[in-house]
Amino acid sequence: MSLQTERAETLLDIRDLTVDFRIDRATTLRAVRNVSFDVAENETVALVGESGSGKSVTALAILGLLPENASVGGATLFIGRDLFAMPRRELQRLRGRDISIVFQEPMSSLNPVFSVGFQLVEVLKQHASLRPRDARARAVDLLREVGIPEPAAKVRAYPFELSGGQQQRVMIAMAIACEPKLLIADEPTTALDVTVQKQILELIAELQARRRMSVLFITHDLALVAEVADRVVVMRDGEVREQGPVRQVYEAPADAYTKALLACRPRLTNRPVRLPVIDDFLNPGREEHPPLELPERSRGLRGDEDVILEARHLAKSFYRREGLIGKHEERAVKDASFKLARGKTLGLVGESGSGKTTLALMLVRLQQATRGEVLLEGVDLLSVRSDSIEHKRRIQIVFQNPYASLNPRFTAGQILMEPMHIHGIGETQTGRRELAYAMFEKVGLPADAFFKYPHEFSGGQRQRIAIARCLTMRPDILICDESVSALDVSVQAQLLNLLQDLQDEFGMSYLFISHDLAVVKYMSDEIMVMTEGEVVEIADSDEIYARPRHPYTRKLLAALPNALLEPGA
Amino acid sequence: MSPAALTLAAAHRPESPGLWTLAWRRFLRDRLGAGCLAIVVVFVAVALASAAGLIASDWSHETAVSYAPPNFLGGSTAPDEASPTAVRDDVSEEIDIKDPLADELAEIRKALAGRSAVETKKATLPLGADKWGRDVLLKLAKGTETSLLVGLSAALLATFLGTLFGAQAGYFGGRIDDFFNWLYSVLTSIPYLLLILAIAAVLNQKGTSTVVLILGLTGWTGIFRLVRAEYLKHKVREYVLAAGAIGASDTRRMFAHILPNVSHVVLVQLSLHVVLFIKSEVILSFLGFGVGVETVSWGSMLNEAQAELLIGKWWQLAAATAAMAVLVTAFSLFTDALRDALDPRLR
Amino acid sequence: MLAYVIRRLWQFIPTLLGVVLLVFVLFNWVGGDPAYLLAGKISNPEHIENIRRQLGVDEPYYVQLGIFLKQIATGDFGASWATNEKISHIFASRLGPSLTVLVPMLVIGTLLAMIAALAVAFWRGSVTDRAIMIACTVGQSISILVYIIVLQYVLGYQLGWFPVQGWGQDLRENLFYYAALPVLVGVIVSLAPDIRLYRSFFLDEINQDYVRTARAKGMSDTRVMTVHVLRNAAIPIVTNVMIQLPALLAGAFLIERFFSIPGIGREVILAVERSDFPLIKAVTVYVAIATMIINLAADLLYKAVDPRVQLK
Repeated sequence: MSLQTERAETLLDIRDLTVDFRIDRATTLRAVRNVSFDVAENETVALVGESGSGKSVTALAILGLLPENASVGGATLFIGRDLFAMPRRELQRLRGRDISIVFQEPMSSLNPVFSVGFQLVEVLKQHASLRPRDARARAVDLLREVGIPEPAAKVRAYPFELSGGQQQRVMIAMAIACEPKLLIADEPTTALDVTVQKQILELIAELQARRRMSVLFITHDLALVAEVADRVVVMRDGEVREQGPVRQVYEAPADAYTKALLACRPRLTNRPVRLPVIDDFLNPGREEHPPLELPERSRGLRGDEDVILEARHLAKSFYRREGLIGKHEERAVKDASFKLARGKTLGLVGESGSGKTTLALMLVRLQQATRGEVLLEGVDLLSVRSDSIEHKRRIQIVFQNPYASLNPRFTAGQILMEPMHIHGIGETQTGRRELAYAMFEKVGLPADAFFKYPHEFSGGQRQRIAIARCLTMRPDILICDESVSALDVSVQAQLLNLLQDLQDEFGMSYLFISHDLAVVKYMSDEIMVMTEGEVVEIADSDEIYARPRHPYTRKLLAALPNALLEPGA
Repeated sequence: MSPAALTLAAAHRPESPGLWTLAWRRFLRDRLGAGCLAIVVVFVAVALASAAGLIASDWSHETAVSYAPPNFLGGSTAPDEASPTAVRDDVSEEIDIKDPLADELAEIRKALAGRSAVETKKATLPLGADKWGRDVLLKLAKGTETSLLVGLSAALLATFLGTLFGAQAGYFGGRIDDFFNWLYSVLTSIPYLLLILAIAAVLNQKGTSTVVLILGLTGWTGIFRLVRAEYLKHKVREYVLAAGAIGASDTRRMFAHILPNVSHVVLVQLSLHVVLFIKSEVILSFLGFGVGVETVSWGSMLNEAQAELLIGKWWQLAAATAAMAVLVTAFSLFTDALRDALDPRLR
Repeated sequence: MLAYVIRRLWQFIPTLLGVVLLVFVLFNWVGGDPAYLLAGKISNPEHIENIRRQLGVDEPYYVQLGIFLKQIATGDFGASWATNEKISHIFASRLGPSLTVLVPMLVIGTLLAMIAALAVAFWRGSVTDRAIMIACTVGQSISILVYIIVLQYVLGYQLGWFPVQGWGQDLRENLFYYAALPVLVGVIVSLAPDIRLYRSFFLDEINQDYVRTARAKGMSDTRVMTVHVLRNAAIPIVTNVMIQLPALLAGAFLIERFFSIPGIGREVILAVERSDFPLIKAVTVYVAIATMIINLAADLLYKAVDPRVQLK
């Protein structure tokens, strides 16, 4: 990060960029309108926005990598030359040599059938005209530089043989191979686990400083930006809302949307009774409380709470055939024991592959547990008959992906009526319909949602329908398996508020699963940390953040962006 | 919610298109696809009319002279009786295809030569006539009936079996899956044409329903594999897990939840198999293992046409080829449009 | 790897038993009494009884099944009912002509279809692309019978460019003289569906993220297509060719029949026409075994073209 106040020479200058997508003969969609900003030499600029803001489209437009149905307007000057007016061949020579890019999904962005070395050597041969042997040696050096262990061996590896973090390091090695002047990083850490995310961010910052290149860093997470960027450009709905030096945007945001983005994200430092939402800022004056002066909510257990659900030594193994007659045991959950207090929230934190979803599925009996017991008010759920639906009713689950968890062929009304029908809730069809309308109102959806199909709703609204579906059964326990993780920050805040309101009203107990430590801390009374199928730590939520005991918990906390540790803007 | 608001909401039931409605609208926007559907509908109408006896019931009447040319060629190319016979016999031996009726035909021809047959028979027909003076146009209509009947029935049967088996195997897994996979690998380890020829040889009885059964009972494997894969994919999707969590039974999850969401795959496969089976029927009938001699099919027309071509009588060949090409092309393009319209990327 | 092959061979057993059972049920049970077929129209009861004893069909079913299994194990299916030729000899002498036609047909057809598909995928959306695709759809909808009849008539009979039919003794003569027209017809027939299929494989790959990466690295469009896309699309193409192999082994029945090529396919059609059950049974079982072996080979080949595949 450069600290100079006077800005260096402009490297990339985007002027009035407009991107249209042709949907069919009659319709075009304007994804980006009149976007202007610039990137100076040796500077890191962060382009921040939620989904649909046009930030990735802008990045792809710079290099002419948009799909064929897109058309661009405006100009992008790179060292004074307009990239949009450049002949095709010249632009090809420039890509990967002067400007290179790292994408979000390292797994799919690397060619699966070529070795890492082949893909690195290819760039070097194309732009640096190295001889094969020299290119090979250079590829090994590059892998070493981006921190791949045993680079001489890994150069022969195929992408699928590497972990997600290593794949992203290879992508970065390819991008920096020809010493570009500008590196575009399009959400480079979004698909990765938090601990890996931190490492990749550090790597990019380090390479930027060492090689004195400029970086255009694209992200949806404003919290990340403070650590990597010199300047910030905030986008929404294809337009630039605000841009300026990072400190200024953080400490004195001028735009209401930027203020909202900063305030919506839960932080580790405080826990307001409800989260500020985007409407508080964009349509101020409607709420009684000014968004930033909300009282704190106190969390934690006293120790004498009534236990509603208890898991004892729960374990799940999957078997895979190996060799001639062998069977390989994959232990997804090794040994999980915990208690859930009535009316309280137990947070569950873990990275991908930690077994947290398998654990959730065992509790709702969608996965058969290999060992252990689950006591619901003293009755072992795993030994009651699998078709006993009364027990099913009492534990419900909201899944992660709002686009996959609703049957696309059912209307929202049918989706709500189905569980009532199965469980005989509401005497008549009319009664059930009335209940469904009441539920829609409860989760903040209009009454005409009843006749609409899932594809007509946004992600946040779909998640509300999923919650309403559970509510129709009046469950005692609600499991939220990454239920807000796929949503934008502003929508996520609304959903978290809704979940909290419902808990306050119905006294449900929550098992709240997330990889996002700030969100979990905001929601939970008690927190359980899982890694590699094992529960390594359970403690009160404030306690665990203040005094983590297990090394893995400490590692997780260290990976959090620093911005979340500061009080809100 | 207040009762008043409730009635309001019910009264203002908004126009909410489901996925099928949206797909249908997308389909109609595709003019090529919609045009092809219209062509298919015309063929189906012809087949239905023919089946109901409204048209072409008198296809076997020998209404014209032998090899009467199509109208647009005029009557100038009057059939020459002597020379074609010579060429024909010569050729049939050479290419190793035996016409079982050759002897009887010769007798008929002699009998015809005795009478002055030409007086009551037409010299030309819209699409010409075959060896016996039967109207090619009527044969074409009758052949359309046979081909569509076989294609549609066999495809329905195969799709039904493939979907049912695939759903069971994919959803339940375990031993059920093992069983159906075994059945699948047994049937697919014998090449398709060899299998149906072997069955045809054993059954040794021709007829439309035999062809339908042979094609339908052996042709479900491709659909099975696809449907099974779809069920494997869908049964772990969150909406199906959610249905499980609310207590929906296996049957309900299989047929009320998953089936509508894989039905686009099934529909496209049904459509593809109609084409496949129409083509197979033509080959079977051509080889003489298909529909019986009392029925016309495009395959049996091609069989006759093969010999006719050598004496320059190309119209039956052209008519059968064109009819089949138009129907199959229209059906294929319709299937492509259908696939595009049903593309579930919308989700 | 070895463990994988052994386990796969082990898995052949139930499938093979299934095929044997299917064939047995079809021919010994559904098929009715073969003695009547064999004896023809003119026969007396003793004659039929005699044949039945010869064939062993008067034995109980389990004995018949045992005989059948023994035939498969020893490879001795006896003689053809129609010609009395040893079935093993029929196989040995008919395989050569079949392969002479099929191998060039497969190689030329696949290469041409790949080149054409790569080209239309490269110029996707253009008028050429659309015209070729429509031509393929129409071409595909015309029966293979019509191609054979018309091409044989025009190129062989009328123009005399090729022999109408026939087969010689010399491999070179067969390959370059007699097989030329059959191969040409076979290639033309397979071209339309293959181009459509391979084009869809290429288009699937073109939309993948790694293609965008290759372009972002500064690779030319040609290199992206011929290195990155082609290498990935080769995987489903190889699979598809391997799937077609067994069907080809049983022969392009129709081509062999029309061009009087003394191959296995023509033999099968003759056998079906003559109700020559032993021959059909033998062909079915052997082709099934060949199919299973080809499938195993396909999986091993798959491992070679796709590094992600792990044989476990």
